[in-house]
Amino acid sequence: AIRVDDNDDSNKNSNKMNAPERAASFLLDEDSGEVKITYATDTKVSNAGTFTLNKEDHTMGNLLRMQLLRDPSVRFAGYYHPHPLVHYLDLKIQTTTSNVSPAEVLSSAIEDLSNEADHLITQVSDSIDQWRKENENQF
Amino acid sequence: ITVILFFCNPYPNYTKMPHQRFPKIQILSLASHEIKFVLSDTDTSMANTLRRIMIGEVPTLAIDLVEIHENSTVLNDEYIAHRLGLIPIRYQAPDSLRGGDVHGAFLSHRECVCYERCPRCSVEFELEVDYDTVNPARQAQDGAGGEDDEEDHEVMAPLTITSKDLKSNNEYVTPAHFLHQDEQDESQDDGIALVKIGPGQRLKLKAIARMGISKEHAKWCPVAVATYRFWPIITINDDACSTLTAEQKQELVDVCPDRILEYDEQVSGNITVAEDAWDTATYTEDLRVTQNMMKKRPEDEDFLSVEPSTDKFIFNVETTGAMDAEEILMASLRVLKDKLNYMAQEVEKVRDMNM
Repeated sequence: AIRVDDNDDSNKNSNKMNAPERAASFLLDEDSGEVKITYATDTKVSNAGTFTLNKEDHTMGNLLRMQLLRDPSVRFAGYYHPHPLVHYLDLKIQTTTSNVSPAEVLSSAIEDLSNEADHLITQVSDSIDQWRKENENQF
Repeated sequence: ITVILFFCNPYPNYTKMPHQRFPKIQILSLASHEIKFVLSDTDTSMANTLRRIMIGEVPTLAIDLVEIHENSTVLNDEYIAHRLGLIPIRYQAPDSLRGGDVHGAFLSHRECVCYERCPRCSVEFELEVDYDTVNPARQAQDGAGGEDDEEDHEVMAPLTITSKDLKSNNEYVTPAHFLHQDEQDESQDDGIALVKIGPGQRLKLKAIARMGISKEHAKWCPVAVATYRFWPIITINDDACSTLTAEQKQELVDVCPDRILEYDEQVSGNITVAEDAWDTATYTEDLRVTQNMMKKRPEDEDFLSVEPSTDKFIFNVETTGAMDAEEILMASLRVLKDKLNYMAQEVEKVRDMNM
């Protein structure tokens, strides 16, 4: 029996020596000490810091950034994805006062987004049920 | 001073609800393979995130490993393995309402505790087709040949090996052969064509399907199309329009290739918006260019304007057959929630470290 692997990890590195593993774009490599989020306080600007989110891309980055911009205690919020081949984001947040830390603001933004997603889930199920009811006569 | 504040109230939650959005969804049409809906009262970032998750991060099943025992077909081993990987595989538990969602039914093979593979993280398919075994039955059907059986130049029609020939070891998992009945009626084959064989050719293989996401390989993508467009906001300045003649109004209505405007001189004498304008508008330049020519001075007000909305989106999602369209929407919201929860936990860890 000949064995052909379609997408198996063990063969991949020998066939295409330079190509990184596809799964590296979303799987955290805990064995080599990768952490999901690290934080560095900004030394030159007050009340600011940079979060490095590992194994994330515009899907989360843009969402978090736009939600942070809605918060009045955020003076600056921006993210960048440095290169398509490296899988991390830098998210810079600066708050207006020193009473509020960037981590708090980020926490609150994630919570708001989570509630929005919950709201969407109920909306979708209600909407589907309603559509089914309205179109029952066609079945 | 900052330290004292944190000591009294470790996580002062100063903003609870005010910045949350409350989006609305309205379904335009719903079939098992396609869903069209309008998402409103939310930002482009949420619409784009939903689109990206639907395309890239909803887990599905697809063939990942292929053991080829015999292949005397005209296609080589890896070609056939590639084609097998692209077949959409559907999981349908009979007593559940979930149309194809594999969440909770299977584990990712990286997380499964088994040695290599087990029924919990994978599904096995077997395929064995031999032209010469199948053919005697087919020859009997070719009664129209008649005396031709003795002739040497009688051409034996090739046999198509399709996705119907894959036999699964899990009764709830089968390949999705067709999207809907119309497609099946139009097709010449019984399923997705894999390879055509002739006399003396055989194909025997075992294929193992595993769960994955499209970011790893496009074969795991549950959607064929997942797009959104912006709802057009068409405003007509009636005061400015009243300065136009009837011919000018008719010209404005006719110049737009999407036909988003209507003008009936007898009925109202005003330009109105067509009823299906939201569906057909594509933000062409024609209206703007024609208006600028009609204005007496360039700084006059516009007669009408068509702008894309910033918070209302028309989504169109078409599946490959592996999951139902509404399931993809629900699954993408669930994946979004899981990602946000994971983020929230990790941010808490960072806050604890920095205290």
